[in-house]
Amino acid sequence: MEVFNVKNMSFGFPDTTWKVLKNINLTVTEGEFIVLCGPTGCGKTTLLRLLKKELAPVGNRTGDIFYVGKRLEECDERTLIEQIGLVFQDPDNQIIMDEVMQEIVFGLENLGYSNFEMRKRVAEMVHFFGMEGLLRLKPSELSGGQKQMLNLLSVLLMKPKVLLLDEPTSQLDPIAAKDLISMLERLNKEMGITIILVEHRLEELFGVADRIIMMDSGEINYTGSSKEVINDLYLQKDERFIPFIPSLSRLYMELETSLECKDIPLSVKESKGWIAKMPKLVSEDPVVRPAVESLPNAQLVAVKDVYFQYEKKGPMILKSLSLHISKGEFFALVGGNGSGKTTALKACIGSIKPQRGTARYEGKDTSKLKGKELYEKIAYLPQNPRTYFLHDTIEKEMQEAVTRHRIDSGKAIITELLHVFDIAHLRDRHPYDCSGGEVQKAALACMLIGKPDMLFIDEPTKGLDPISKERFSEVLSRLHKEGLTIMMVTHDIEFAAQNAQRCAMMFDGEITVDGTPEQLFKGNYFYTTAINRATRLSNVREVLTLEEALATWPVPVVT
Amino acid sequence: MENGFRGYHPFVLFFYYVCVGVLAMYFNHPLFLLVACLVLIGVNSTHDKGKALKKWIPMLIGMSTIIILVNPFLNSRGTTIFFYFRGKQVTLEATMYGIVMALSLVIILLMFISFNLILNGNKFLFVFSKFLPKTAFLTMLVIRFVPLLKRRFDEINDVQRIRGMTIASGTIRERAKSAMVMLQILLTWSLEEAIETADSMKARGYGIGKRSPYVPYKMDKRDKGWLLTLMLLFSVCIAGGIFGYGKIIIYPELGTLQFYLFDWVMLVCMTLLMSFPLLVEGREQVKWKFSM
Repeated sequence: MEVFNVKNMSFGFPDTTWKVLKNINLTVTEGEFIVLCGPTGCGKTTLLRLLKKELAPVGNRTGDIFYVGKRLEECDERTLIEQIGLVFQDPDNQIIMDEVMQEIVFGLENLGYSNFEMRKRVAEMVHFFGMEGLLRLKPSELSGGQKQMLNLLSVLLMKPKVLLLDEPTSQLDPIAAKDLISMLERLNKEMGITIILVEHRLEELFGVADRIIMMDSGEINYTGSSKEVINDLYLQKDERFIPFIPSLSRLYMELETSLECKDIPLSVKESKGWIAKMPKLVSEDPVVRPAVESLPNAQLVAVKDVYFQYEKKGPMILKSLSLHISKGEFFALVGGNGSGKTTALKACIGSIKPQRGTARYEGKDTSKLKGKELYEKIAYLPQNPRTYFLHDTIEKEMQEAVTRHRIDSGKAIITELLHVFDIAHLRDRHPYDCSGGEVQKAALACMLIGKPDMLFIDEPTKGLDPISKERFSEVLSRLHKEGLTIMMVTHDIEFAAQNAQRCAMMFDGEITVDGTPEQLFKGNYFYTTAINRATRLSNVREVLTLEEALATWPVPVVT
Repeated sequence: MENGFRGYHPFVLFFYYVCVGVLAMYFNHPLFLLVACLVLIGVNSTHDKGKALKKWIPMLIGMSTIIILVNPFLNSRGTTIFFYFRGKQVTLEATMYGIVMALSLVIILLMFISFNLILNGNKFLFVFSKFLPKTAFLTMLVIRFVPLLKRRFDEINDVQRIRGMTIASGTIRERAKSAMVMLQILLTWSLEEAIETADSMKARGYGIGKRSPYVPYKMDKRDKGWLLTLMLLFSVCIAGGIFGYGKIIIYPELGTLQFYLFDWVMLVCMTLLMSFPLLVEGREQVKWKFSM
């Protein structure tokens, strides 16, 4: 049965001639799991919101949307609210009430259900989600993953037929993201709920989805099963979308000479099967990246035996943490949620004062640095770069930085930076009107005006689409070559392995191991990249990233 | 669910506190107030072994001493004169009035310390949502925003500190300026994020019809029993008070402090009423100890 039928729909925001969506035709049958993806600004979120009538953006829409055979405008308001559920991107913003239980029943209360019905539904679904222990907690006591599960649960209590999700995992760490996706898979398989998901972190989703829809500039470019879409993309050599494909499938597409659409691997298991068929390669001596010699006098950051807890009776977040970063290094700190990596970064920039131990920057206590010493030397790119901006356009912000640092040739530097970061078209925009990747680059450009010696970055890949991620990685490597020392905190292992010279793993408040990405990630079960999991203990050379495989494996393999 | 006194229906708990508050101001016989005061100290120490109470003790003692000492010197009503101080009479009545007032205030403060521990957060809102549903809902929304805003402000502070802007040092003018700028960022950012909160409310049908509030607490038999008992005891106390039992005459001349039979009845009723938490907790303790 058709759930949604979108016919020749175009959409433009008021007072603009430019169309966000152009001639969209889309049929969604019941029980389908659809993944919508495309670069930022391609109109996928607008399309999703148009399907939820209450939240449809204001603008000129032509064409029709049918929900179960009826035009969306003619459907009963209450039915639509109940049957079409929407989960948003940010886990925090969707939570309304101050207690988990109250939050769960919020929707049911609005629709005027009886207490009997509410209790019944709550009992059933809370059990299904295993959230009994959380009912009396406050949302601020939950982790990001738990919050997003709570949002999903409160939408599901209204018993929707269709679940729309707008980048639900973009703010979560990999483990929580995986949990959410497997929950969605269960809901789809066991309850037959139709799911339409907008997302750009796709490694796992390609294996789960029934249909992938690729969009760019308001049009649907590719649609079909995961394997068909991958095959089409490579046949067309469509550079816009290739970065969206999981690295395992890309490896196959790049190296396999006799391509078979049905053989495209989507999971580590399938990929291992494919690799097993390859001829055994004589393994050469692996190219070892030169380890950076850390000269004691060139150390920029020196953290020694730091202990820290947020509350007197709270747990120790940092325990005997020691860490050194030398001039010119690119250092990445990885670790799970709650391992204390963000707190470690805060100690390095002096936002927190360690209870024991010292955190020094060029021999000075970081928490005592202030004014000039800080802004001339250090730049800090936070998780949410919007907190950096004070002015209403990006150019004004840069101008202010120029005056603050007393730079004479300000105009020239601004123009140059805008050009280098490819954000010249954004100079008159408000920072809030830019996408996540754009704000990040704009904030970085502002920070670089003062020519800092060291850059601290917190979770730079959160919420970025693969293309912005690639661009950001290019920017970082250029800055690093120019001599900037970089410290990055991330849970994106692929990104760390691709960029950093030296990585360290945080666990339980201290750095447990520290070394080059190869030393650190190769051979791990979980804490490694998907490609490494597939190539470990196989007849090909073990690699960490797609680039490494393409560079070090010999000529295309013929099977 | 919570045990003991906390496990009772919020309405019963709320009614108990109302009774305690009213009676503390209703009776003014020092013995009544002294007994009430001791019972409430007992009640407080069963909640959290007196941790919250300990923090308040210096303040309670200090406040009541000041009232008792200062009142006779400021107030010169009454007929039984002790002595003259700078031409003003210091009377027995004013002293007694000071004692009664101090005791009353101490009882009310003790009541609020206990109230704060027992009927906190959502239980309190639940009670209020019966009388003022809209206000209670709004309060819930606001409370939810407090930790959210605090976290955002900390984030902004971290970022802006690196830019050389801080509220921790500099002249007052500079600090105020930085604080204003940071608040401005906080506001812009939070308003932006609040759009999504509003969308989330709309998406879940807020405002399409009459809300039917979810009732997380059930009135069961023991709740009803205690509510009835409390009501009964409370009305006996009020009725007795009307006839002057449990009360003394202070002005213009201090009346007798003597106890009549009905005074004893009143005292027992009030003590029973106020030791409701003690009885509940005591019963629980006994059950744990002596049952298999």
